[in-house]
Amino acid sequence: MDILKTSSLSIGYDDKAVVSDINVTLNEGDIIALIGPNGAGKSTLFKTFSTHIKPLGGKIKLFGKDINLYSNNERAKMLGIVLTERPDDMFLKVYDVVAAGRYPYTGMFGKLSENDEKEIKASLELVGVNNLIDRVFNTLSDGEKQKVMIAKAIAQNTPIIMLDEPTAFLDYPSKIELFSLLKKLAKEQKKAILFSSHDLELLLRYTDNIWIIAKNLPFASGQSSELLKNGIIQKYFQLKDADNQYLLNELS
Amino acid sequence: MKNNKILIGILGIIILGIVLFALNLFVGSVRISFDDILKVLLKDSEDKTLNVIIFDYRLPQALTALLAGAALAVAGLLMQTLFRNPLADPSMLGISSGASLGVGVVILLTGAISGAAVSSFGWWSTIGVSLAAFIGAVLVLFVMLAFSARMKNMTTLIIIGLMIAYLAGSITDILKFFSLKEDIHAFVIWGMGSFSGVGNSKMAIFSISIIIGLVASFFLSKNLNILLLGEMYAENLGLNIRKNSVVIILISGYLTAIVTAYCGPIAFVGLAMPHIARFLFKSSDHRLLIPTTMLIGMDMALLCNLIARMPGFDGNLPINAVTAFIGAPVVISVIMKSRK
Repeated sequence: MDILKTSSLSIGYDDKAVVSDINVTLNEGDIIALIGPNGAGKSTLFKTFSTHIKPLGGKIKLFGKDINLYSNNERAKMLGIVLTERPDDMFLKVYDVVAAGRYPYTGMFGKLSENDEKEIKASLELVGVNNLIDRVFNTLSDGEKQKVMIAKAIAQNTPIIMLDEPTAFLDYPSKIELFSLLKKLAKEQKKAILFSSHDLELLLRYTDNIWIIAKNLPFASGQSSELLKNGIIQKYFQLKDADNQYLLNELS
Repeated sequence: MKNNKILIGILGIIILGIVLFALNLFVGSVRISFDDILKVLLKDSEDKTLNVIIFDYRLPQALTALLAGAALAVAGLLMQTLFRNPLADPSMLGISSGASLGVGVVILLTGAISGAAVSSFGWWSTIGVSLAAFIGAVLVLFVMLAFSARMKNMTTLIIIGLMIAYLAGSITDILKFFSLKEDIHAFVIWGMGSFSGVGNSKMAIFSISIIIGLVASFFLSKNLNILLLGEMYAENLGLNIRKNSVVIILISGYLTAIVTAYCGPIAFVGLAMPHIARFLFKSSDHRLLIPTTMLIGMDMALLCNLIARMPGFDGNLPINAVTAFIGAPVVISVIMKSRK
């Protein structure tokens, strides 16, 4: 079933639309890469979905209901985000960060139940960093931090997870690992996953579905192989012929 | 940190507090023997002077220090977490500058209207100064609340707070320029801070107002914990950023306003005590930090009051001269120890 659906959505700041007329659907188990050149509006789209900024026009529906009709806490249980920003508190532990994912489910004082504790451990385990549970978050490597933030989103137990540039700052093996983790989440936990990335080659190799945005071009979506073959990728990224040919050769 | 270690730490801070509280009763410019003090405390003494010294001076002063220390420390913790800035303290909201401005206005107006110095009005002048400080502080607080209700960006809020503090400060300086000499003296004394201004007559209203603020701050611990992840994450976890910052500023500003009105602008406690709590317990969990910061604030204020009252200072050493002098080395040593 479709979890998130937009109709004629236009996004941007202060009445200046960055992207207009977005009509897309996120389904259970989808894993979708949002790509486009810098400044095309990828972060703006994330911020709109997470209701940090208001859409300039159109509608976003979550489970068939307008996203603004949910309370903050209800939304917190439906859509989890992983951003490029990182917490930088001196004493914040990995456990605390992942535990924050459970806050929408706790009472006034944020007391964690036994079930919450279980979810926290399970999330760390799923991401493969349960050995870091007592570490101070600030002392982790970039890759480890990324995994812990993903564990937070998993602990949040939302049907949708959105990740802004999750592969940035990661080395090559960690990138591959991340893609397979996202695939696992989509497949085993039936989550809908939307992430943005600049790793074009990796994306085309590891994901099936792509949303693509660029300045002054209409929003486009489709299967990665098709978008590559029919020249959309080349057009939106303004790739040189030789570079496009390279991608085609590499990925066919 | 393991749970029993945390308990031992809290217990240690409480015991230290009890010892400091007792010392505040025992030590002062008038030397009273241990036996006599016990007799007075057990209501067994006929000596009127001793009764006055203990019950009218030392006890209310120690209670004031206790409450003011807890209030300022937790107000500082709230600011530091809200702005995610280790240098934030209650003065950042311009609250103490607003209080100073209130006092400045009263002093100038009395001088201008009656031609006499405020200090010549005796008892009324202390009430007037407290009230003026409170009104000034609350006015600035409302201005800050109005800004925070409109803004999501904490950096801009800090800058606005600082600008309001400077603005109030400069208006105060201008007022002082036109004030009578005697009143400038009174103003300077108020600005140095003191725990002796509350006394028995105003203790009930002071303590109830502070305790309300302290209790309210406990209800913020969950939201403060989420804020540590950053505003975007906090919002995604269901937190209403603007509403939340209005509430945090309201409670922090309310506590600061009350303490400043009765004790003058007391620096350093709000800035430094949260750091001692964090480093001592190596934690960022506000369910632990709020109570421990309060307890450490109590201890520190009692210690500073004790030193300011040591025989030889005649009970007149300003609190602001002591807080940083004693507090800064404590903060440095705590940080160095836990860094090893």
